[in-house]
Amino acid sequence: MKERIAVICPGRGGYTRDTQGYLARGDLGDDLVRLDAQRRGNGLPTLSELDNSPFHASTHLPGEHASVLIYACGLMDFLSIDRDRYEIVAITGNSMGWYTALGLGGALADGRDYTLLQTMGAMMKDGLVGGQLITPLVDSEWRRDPERERLLDEALESAGKSVYYSIRYGGYAVIGGEEKGLNELEKMLPSIDDDPFRIPYNGAFHTPLMAEISSCAFDLLPETLFRQPSVPLIDGRGTVWRPHSASITALRDYTLGYQVTETFDFSAAVAVMVKEFCTDRVVLLGPGNPLGGAVGHVLIQENWLDIDSKTSFLNRQAEDPFVISMGIPEQRRLVTA
Amino acid sequence: MKFNRAKIVDQNFAAAVTRGRFPSSRLSAEPGHQPDDDVLAALFESQIISRHFDLKAREMKDKNACFYTIGSSGHEGNAVFGRLLRPNDMAFLHYRSAAFFLERARQIPGTTPFYDLALSFVSSSEDPITGGRHKVFGSAEMSMPPQTSTIASHLPKAVGAAISIDRAAALNLEDRILPDDGIIVCSFGDASLNQAAALSAINTALWASHHGIPVPIIFICEDNGLGISVKTPSNWIESVYGRRTGLQYVECDGLHLIDLLEKTTVAEKAVRKRRKPLFLRMKTVRLLGHAGSDIQSTYHSLEKIEAAEANDPLLHSARIIRKRNIMSGEEMALLYESLRRQVGAVFEHASGRPKLSTAADVITTILPPKGAKTAMPMIQKEKRKRIFGNEFSRLGEPQHMAKLINYALTDILARYQGAVAFGEDVGRKGGVYHVTAGLQEKFGPRRVFDSMLDETSIIGTAIGMAHNGFLPIAEIQFLAYFHNAEDQLRGEAATLSFFSLGKFVNPVILRVPGLAYQKGFGGHFHNDNSLAVFRDIPGIIIACPSNGADAARMLWTVAREAHENGRISVFIEPIALYMTKDLHNQGDRGWSFAYPDPDKEIELGEFTIHGTGRNLTIVTYGNGAYLSRKAADVLEKKHRKKCRIIDLRWLAPLNEEGLVKSLGKCPNILIVEECRRTGSMGEALVGLFAQGCTHRPAIKLHAAEDCFIPLGEAATAILPTKETILAAALEMVT
Repeated sequence: MKERIAVICPGRGGYTRDTQGYLARGDLGDDLVRLDAQRRGNGLPTLSELDNSPFHASTHLPGEHASVLIYACGLMDFLSIDRDRYEIVAITGNSMGWYTALGLGGALADGRDYTLLQTMGAMMKDGLVGGQLITPLVDSEWRRDPERERLLDEALESAGKSVYYSIRYGGYAVIGGEEKGLNELEKMLPSIDDDPFRIPYNGAFHTPLMAEISSCAFDLLPETLFRQPSVPLIDGRGTVWRPHSASITALRDYTLGYQVTETFDFSAAVAVMVKEFCTDRVVLLGPGNPLGGAVGHVLIQENWLDIDSKTSFLNRQAEDPFVISMGIPEQRRLVTA
Repeated sequence: MKFNRAKIVDQNFAAAVTRGRFPSSRLSAEPGHQPDDDVLAALFESQIISRHFDLKAREMKDKNACFYTIGSSGHEGNAVFGRLLRPNDMAFLHYRSAAFFLERARQIPGTTPFYDLALSFVSSSEDPITGGRHKVFGSAEMSMPPQTSTIASHLPKAVGAAISIDRAAALNLEDRILPDDGIIVCSFGDASLNQAAALSAINTALWASHHGIPVPIIFICEDNGLGISVKTPSNWIESVYGRRTGLQYVECDGLHLIDLLEKTTVAEKAVRKRRKPLFLRMKTVRLLGHAGSDIQSTYHSLEKIEAAEANDPLLHSARIIRKRNIMSGEEMALLYESLRRQVGAVFEHASGRPKLSTAADVITTILPPKGAKTAMPMIQKEKRKRIFGNEFSRLGEPQHMAKLINYALTDILARYQGAVAFGEDVGRKGGVYHVTAGLQEKFGPRRVFDSMLDETSIIGTAIGMAHNGFLPIAEIQFLAYFHNAEDQLRGEAATLSFFSLGKFVNPVILRVPGLAYQKGFGGHFHNDNSLAVFRDIPGIIIACPSNGADAARMLWTVAREAHENGRISVFIEPIALYMTKDLHNQGDRGWSFAYPDPDKEIELGEFTIHGTGRNLTIVTYGNGAYLSRKAADVLEKKHRKKCRIIDLRWLAPLNEEGLVKSLGKCPNILIVEECRRTGSMGEALVGLFAQGCTHRPAIKLHAAEDCFIPLGEAATAILPTKETILAAALEMVT
């Protein structure tokens, strides 16, 4: 009997100085050739070139390069999962990881994964609209900290309409907004270690400030780009899109509309994934382990498998990992052939 | 093997989709409606998931890991209702509604219907709606109050909720929960439609609608033709409801998704627009028997069982899916199996989750959470003056109980925007004892109104309105009339918080004039003297004041408890004391009281003590308190013996600790009980004092006989009187 697994696709934060060269360590094969050709055709550096060149934040982090790069890493990991042992029953992702999920889940027409990823990633190449900061809402044991939540709520209310909840990211809040509002927020929120932390090269994703971007996306990306998925997909609200029953029109509307301008609820997506599919494991794609903490937070919030603290999460991971990060070599080996 | 119909039905699906052999449509002509393919595919999915829940539940039952096997098989067409009705159209559902539940969940992102249903099936304490107390289809976020009824007792409140929608909008009720353009849906089987509660509900809807009151409700009769083993005649539903004046009747084939979509669209639009009741009959089949334990072959031939199975709704849906080329046979088989694995995995996981284990855990939800709403401010003097009018200057004058209750209701209606008072004769006439006189003029017919003479309807309406933020004060004209409607309180209202973790509340105040001692006539209906019907219902408040001042103060308390804490109260009003003004002698005005200040509530459990005697304590309430005061006067003046009288005021919750403490070392306790001995409060007090009073006092219960109240002068022959109380007291202290 195959193990049933669910897959989570990363957002843009995983490809860093530490993980540079990730693609070269695997084998994306024909897909890399294709994506490189598509990039070249657009007059852009290829993924292979980016992956092989020294890491520069100004090169590797902006969306026009990072999006497809991260997508390719996710695709490579996805294809390397041993299907003889594992059945992939659901896919979700964080933020731009939703585009990756669409691609991996068969919801984009052949070769149009690049179109969606590159178009959406490059939308702000001429200048970012707003920015994002991230701040923790959990304590050292990754449990909800009502005081931090209260302070954030107060700060958001005080900052008014220039800042918005961008991503509900496990035990973190990602706030998107205009520079002025974010600066104000930074002053109001308690400083703990590096937090709140401004995320470089990120715009005010998933906020109403993206309305124009959404409008452009509708102009540029037709319905023919989309297909019904071949695997259930879980979006950034916790809605499950299933093969056969997914409305392509609705899928495009969500992806280019709501998903761009409204809060991305990654926590809800993960909660729905674990509860509705009850998989044997959850597999995180992409370099590094940027999703591990946030996924752990959600498991704690849901008391999933009786995991109720960072300690019990780490114990479980040490004994028989429920969450497998393919960016961690020893865990990667568990799910690859 | 012949009897394992679940397995056969399961195998039939794979065989049919693989071979492409499907049952023919039962319709004479295909519907013209053209739904999108993805809609049909989604409905088909929900139907399959629903089926797998049934199949898995039976498998788990065999392992003693699931406790409920009344399934949805055959009724999967109700997925369409779940899709077409809005997620905030409050739904009171039949127990075969898994597909409805699953489809409605699709409308609300982030919901987890697989997991939630599985937790409910296995009675896990993590079930988000009942916390492991029952298998239900319920959800706060999906506007689906949990129903446990198998006897259509949820229909009257559904009608009440329907009546509440436009009423709340018209009154601009701040606390309203349901949207102004919302409608109510309630579903039930063809057999339970014969229940009195169902007949009452439909009658109420028609009666109200006939009076021009908006009643936006769809009654969905899921007609599978069977009540366990008893056949419903094939034309019965249509013959009874097909041509009822004021009731739009729509019929659809529960085996045909497109017909269901077409007819339900018609029904939904009609009710949302016209705000009138509609009866939607879904003709379907029942598969897998009534429940897991039901062996169909004891009352059905194999031929009949197989005929129903050949008309499995999933096979009919598969025909449509295949015909429209939405999926191949192989894809349908794969979908069926992948959903089986998903349901199986979720079920297995859920079965390992914790269960309720201790009594303390189980009972925690009997009372709704405290403080759900903030306290309502008191009404300013000027506003009160305006509302009371000429009466305002007389509030300080001694009055009888009926008048003071009338004043208290006036203050409550003024203070709580959601308060409504209704019942038979309550509105225009002002009540048969004038307790509600003038209230309709003051607050208008939307808030103070007459109901028809049907207690099931009255209580159901109150419960339903309370679901939408109202604070209903319903009057049951006489205590004896309550009995034909008791399940509305016992099985419905009182259980709502318990089975919903307090996520739904129905704070209702039932005013119940009753008890005996009415002068001039008797008869058991107008003088009913048993409260046993209320006393065993967990969680409700039972008030029984003995005088007008207490009555007013206690009425404010129950109104506040309803508003702030969602509590349900039964307010027993001793009819014989309504107009009583004097205590010992004619004209002494000893039982007339000034109207208290409206902030002087009597807290729950707070009893009062009259007298200072140490040798004898009389414990009583209601008429008993009044008569005991009279007897005590004679005891003291004639026999030179003092006593104390404890007037309980609250029969539930009973302040047990306070009572035992207040008795101190008193050696003689006389319990004066005006109700029939058996099942009486007095019996409970005997038990309490016998267990709780460590000094072992003498305890005597002086109660009414276990008899019905006769007519005429003999009415009081079986009741405690001033004389018999005195005699009982003397017996103890001399």
